[in-house]
Amino acid sequence: MYLSRLILTHFKNYSSQTVHFSEGVNGIVGPNGMGKTNLLDAVYYLCMSKSRFSVSDRLLIQHEADFFRLEGHFLREGKPEKVVAKVAKGRKKEIERDDAPYERISEHVGRYPVVMIAPDDIQLALEGSEERRRFIDNTLSQIDAQYLTQLIQYNHILRQRNAYLKQVAEWHQSPDESLLTTYDRQLLAPSDFLLEARKSFIARFIPIFQAHYGAISGNQEQVVCHLRSQLLERPLSEWLMDLREKDRLLQRTNAGIHKDDLEFLIDDYPVKQFASQGQLKSFVLAMKLAQYELLQHETGQYPILLLDDLFAKLDRHRVEHLMTWIVERSFGQVLISDTELDRLSAVVRAKTADCRFFEVNKGTISTPNNPITQQPN
Amino acid sequence: MNYSSKLIEEAVQAFATLPSIGKKTALRLVLHLVKMEPELTERLGEALLNMRKHIQFCQNCHHLSDGPQCQICADPRRDRSLVCVVEGIRDVMAIEETGQYKGLYHVLGGVISPLEGVGPESLQVDSLVNRVDSGEVKELIMAVSPTIEGETTIFYLSKQLSAYPVRISTIARGVSFGGELEYADELTLARSITARIPYKSE
Repeated sequence: MYLSRLILTHFKNYSSQTVHFSEGVNGIVGPNGMGKTNLLDAVYYLCMSKSRFSVSDRLLIQHEADFFRLEGHFLREGKPEKVVAKVAKGRKKEIERDDAPYERISEHVGRYPVVMIAPDDIQLALEGSEERRRFIDNTLSQIDAQYLTQLIQYNHILRQRNAYLKQVAEWHQSPDESLLTTYDRQLLAPSDFLLEARKSFIARFIPIFQAHYGAISGNQEQVVCHLRSQLLERPLSEWLMDLREKDRLLQRTNAGIHKDDLEFLIDDYPVKQFASQGQLKSFVLAMKLAQYELLQHETGQYPILLLDDLFAKLDRHRVEHLMTWIVERSFGQVLISDTELDRLSAVVRAKTADCRFFEVNKGTISTPNNPITQQPN
Repeated sequence: MNYSSKLIEEAVQAFATLPSIGKKTALRLVLHLVKMEPELTERLGEALLNMRKHIQFCQNCHHLSDGPQCQICADPRRDRSLVCVVEGIRDVMAIEETGQYKGLYHVLGGVISPLEGVGPESLQVDSLVNRVDSGEVKELIMAVSPTIEGETTIFYLSKQLSAYPVRISTIARGVSFGGELEYADELTLARSITARIPYKSE
């Protein structure tokens, strides 16, 4: 599966642009602030039906435009498929596949698996639990459509429960206990499903992650990771019952799978506090490569790999490792962005001839003159 | 638009306040009335005024009614032990249209959704409990939309009624009649299989 052609209209700093990608490695070069990341994000958007960076779709619309449109031509299992994403101010966003709009946008996720490696991935190790939950959710949503459906349901019920706690607090009333019990009961089924799915995910993820960490760091230290969830100690129904008073005071739900976290240990010490800078970099890269491999195994397709600002957080040694890893397998499509053409092309050409380069300049994409690159018409 | 008549303009603006009627449709309606006999407009106006002045909500089921009790609740042929709980007035009309249901109704006035500011206290919950408390009702059929909010409402009502020996059922959810299986959406199909029913040959 790969993206052969991408048409961007009023997306971030692109007014109107068509790009023909190679099935193999695509190098995207240009100075900072020209739109390299935006281009990768457009590809991510077509796969995940949302941006990797922006929470709001509206912020993706070019300044002074009223809408954006992305059109992607994929080749999947030998057949061409067209995906269109349309976002206009004051209208519901639409995702179409082969001109048929999805009724539920969530049905789109997972058809074109994608992994993005970006400089802010370091947050996976350093930030709060939300980043790591998002990592699990992102991976599982692409593997199992049921997971995303259950997650949307769980979050919806949770929002209703929290809205109710807020509402009664504003009216200085005490909450209707039987309505809270109703929400508690409704949370149970999706919560059980999500917990089981996450437990089984961790079990499949750990060995792949450990293999990657070992290969990248070349070190002897042991990395382990486990799921931290209140629900591994006691069932959700008990937590919710016991924390009612706290929920009422804080006007939100204080127990549940929305509090889950992944804990990583290097030689029995938490990564967050004790890892060196080098270990952190290896750790985050290993997580992403393990995500890629798991997606590839379980969806039966090579995900599209997006490497944003390759050299920003990775040193030569890790870039070298990454490139070797990419070409040693019969890899899928890769998009790499970097500020310098020479540096990137040296790294890529040392490994593979199957590559194409693009220069990005203020939202305009051109193909630099080099003999290997051929622009199809 | 310039109507060159204050009277026409006012009538157009009045029509245009109604849902799904724009300025152009409003003008068409007004010009139509001008073209027809004056009696038509008189009858129309009278019917509207009369309706608005005298329409009430049934004290029993909260459906639209001409008097304190609606036609359905007042009908002696109806089964008073069976009550169908619905969100709104249009649901009553849809079920009545089938001609299959012979029980009474209870119009809640919505479903519980704190995100939209609708809590249990803004729905006709207490009056439902009172109806069940009176002992006449043997079964409640929950005919509420199969959404998360609909489920919340059914759960909540069943909790409020747990002390009473009333049977609570929900309408069947699944593949639509005359629909083809392959076109049913995944959620519906999955649910239809989990909640399958025993096959009965007549």
